[in-house]
Amino acid sequence: MNNTWLLYIAFAAVLVFVGLYCLLSMRNLIKLFIGIEVISKGISLAFVATGFAKKNILVAQALAVTFIVIEVSVVATALAIIINTYRHTRSLDIRKLAKLKG
Amino acid sequence: MVFLFIALPLVVAGILPLVGKISKKVLPDLLVNSVFVILLALVFFEGRGLVAQDAAIKQLFWFGEPLNIRLMLDGFSLFMLFAVSLVGFAISLFSIDYMDHYGSKANFYALFLVMIAGMNGLLLVTDLFQIYIFLEVAAVASYALVAFGLGQDELEASFKYLMLSAVASAFLLAGIVIIFGVTGGLDFETVSQGLRALDARYLVGLCAAFFILGFGLKAALVPFHAWLPDAHPSAPAPISAALSGLLIKVSGVYALTRVFLNVFGLTPALSTVLMYLGVISMVVAALLALGQTDIKRMLAYSSISQVGYIVLGIGLGTPLGILGGLFHLFNHALAKSLLFLNSGSIQMSTGTRNLDEMGGLGKRMPVTAGTTLIGSLAIAGVPPLNGFWSKLIIIVALVQAKQWAFALIAVLVSVLTLWYYLVIQRKAFFGQLNERWSAVREAPFWMTVSTVLLALLCIATGIFFAGTVNSWIRPAADALVKGVQTTLGSLGF
Amino acid sequence: MIVEIALLCGLVLFSVAAIIFRDLLKAAICLAVASLLLGIIFFRMKAPYIGAFEISVVAGLITVLFITTIALTKTGGDVRESKAASWIFPLVFVVFLVLDFFVMRGLIGKIPALEATPEQGTFGEVLWKIRTFDLVGQIGVIFAGVLAVLALFRKRDKDE
Repeated sequence: MNNTWLLYIAFAAVLVFVGLYCLLSMRNLIKLFIGIEVISKGISLAFVATGFAKKNILVAQALAVTFIVIEVSVVATALAIIINTYRHTRSLDIRKLAKLKG
Repeated sequence: MVFLFIALPLVVAGILPLVGKISKKVLPDLLVNSVFVILLALVFFEGRGLVAQDAAIKQLFWFGEPLNIRLMLDGFSLFMLFAVSLVGFAISLFSIDYMDHYGSKANFYALFLVMIAGMNGLLLVTDLFQIYIFLEVAAVASYALVAFGLGQDELEASFKYLMLSAVASAFLLAGIVIIFGVTGGLDFETVSQGLRALDARYLVGLCAAFFILGFGLKAALVPFHAWLPDAHPSAPAPISAALSGLLIKVSGVYALTRVFLNVFGLTPALSTVLMYLGVISMVVAALLALGQTDIKRMLAYSSISQVGYIVLGIGLGTPLGILGGLFHLFNHALAKSLLFLNSGSIQMSTGTRNLDEMGGLGKRMPVTAGTTLIGSLAIAGVPPLNGFWSKLIIIVALVQAKQWAFALIAVLVSVLTLWYYLVIQRKAFFGQLNERWSAVREAPFWMTVSTVLLALLCIATGIFFAGTVNSWIRPAADALVKGVQTTLGSLGF
Repeated sequence: MIVEIALLCGLVLFSVAAIIFRDLLKAAICLAVASLLLGIIFFRMKAPYIGAFEISVVAGLITVLFITTIALTKTGGDVRESKAASWIFPLVFVVFLVLDFFVMRGLIGKIPALEATPEQGTFGEVLWKIRTFDLVGQIGVIFAGVLAVLALFRKRDKDE
């Protein structure tokens, strides 16, 4: 594999790390979800970069399109859950939720 | 025809919301149950013939043109399809009465069918990325189903489940990207040939770690189990049954087994890791189950513990171990769905899930009490019920492989399992009838039909266990053992 | 190459900003800008379709969804994040950067790889003819998402 691939993978790893840190430390439900979004940016960067490095860019694009479609579905579901939670508790604070830890 | 396993539930799910506008209850009930009957018929008449001819990979045609949809149907996937259709059928029967008071039944059924379509898809794919896609189809539907009651607990549990699931998917994709980068393909065959051709020990180790993390989260093995004891009890009872009985096995255990046994090849190091994960899940979850007072929470912990048995058997990697693991998977799917459905009956009749508040319900709900007893004994492994045989096979396999310590732990955990199931029996059904429940009645007709069906299946599988093993589980185990033998030793890390 | 690295650094910077900002609206906009940069990176990798898709769907649609949610949940929006989290972050981040840098530098030239099969045709052909099954999965996911939103926002008509 060539070195450009490693460069992109290094940046993708940074993005995934930032997202995971957000998931572990933040308390706002929407903020947690922004963390998930950052992780998925890292993943789609890694996919397209892999295709680029392997000269397989068309397949990589097809995969990334599917990935983004899935991401949209997950985002819509998650935001619907967040809005419903807010209707119950009037708050977005994770500490106000009885069971939720982590 | 095999494609119908995915297409039929999806199409019906698509038209269900429209049907729901016309008829609120009867038509959706009928439609969903007939879908499962058709799926079962397909498994019996179409699938078994195909597997017998050894037509493992099917290419689809569209008006004579070859389409690039390749489906793999071997013994293992057929066996899992059978389990999914059977338990799915019982669950849809149960939902006829149970889901009445939740409202918008058509929507519920549609989501349930999408989940089934996702699971069936996952069982038939031949490509790593498609594993992820169908995993996600089933998962997105299950988030909504967990939160279906729209109460605060449900929403919280669903959110937590979604978060951890998203992390699991991210790790899976990281592993898939690395494999794509290294081998240049995603097909199971291309990948496994590519990995054998390359000497990429550390990279394969890294990918294996990512996959274990991802599938471990999906299967709720113990260090990664935090979401399950919240998500499974919060869902409506039929969905708890589907999640515990099917989803964690399909998206966790099946995918893990498929990837590690047929693609990566089970190396000794991997085998050890899987066995330790299995044993830790077994022990820790059984101990945690003892302290629960919520019946559904206790059942959820028990699921984690039993998945530990399955992973232990499959991780052992000997033909007998794999056989036992798969047989236990089937038995646990039957018995745990039965128990979760019964917990739903109890909750519907009494309005509580707290074991301390129950008592003496056996006199009021004899069918529920009887079927719960059968399910409990089946999971705990009391002869001649089905769980006994599968646990016996796993323990014999462990002894044969000279894993004495693991065998001993498996026996002890089995005793522990029996203990906490007896606690359920004693607290819920035996003893003095609590005054509050003097007006409690037996569950409605379709709910009892479904639970009695599952209980009879538990007994039948136990008594005719040789027949079940030979006709369903042996082909499945063979398909996996073939994978172990071709890949074992060629790639070590 | 320098342009690429600058774009990637910008992407990381905006992602970090999206996480650090207390104000959710600012965070969502930072996330959108990060998506925009990612889209441009994709264009430069000669992947125009996914670049356009990233910009229109992720930077557009998902940002709209986020902002709608933020607007709907406005009054409870002030959540006090723990002080320690923002304190520790720069430290952990730098440690990870250094680690990442050295690991990746150590890996240069050491990763064995097979040649991929060369591909022909256009993006549409690849998507429709090679990854056909993915499209079935996409349909499933879209169904799941739509039905999930319908179920979660249904009127609670308890038909007794």
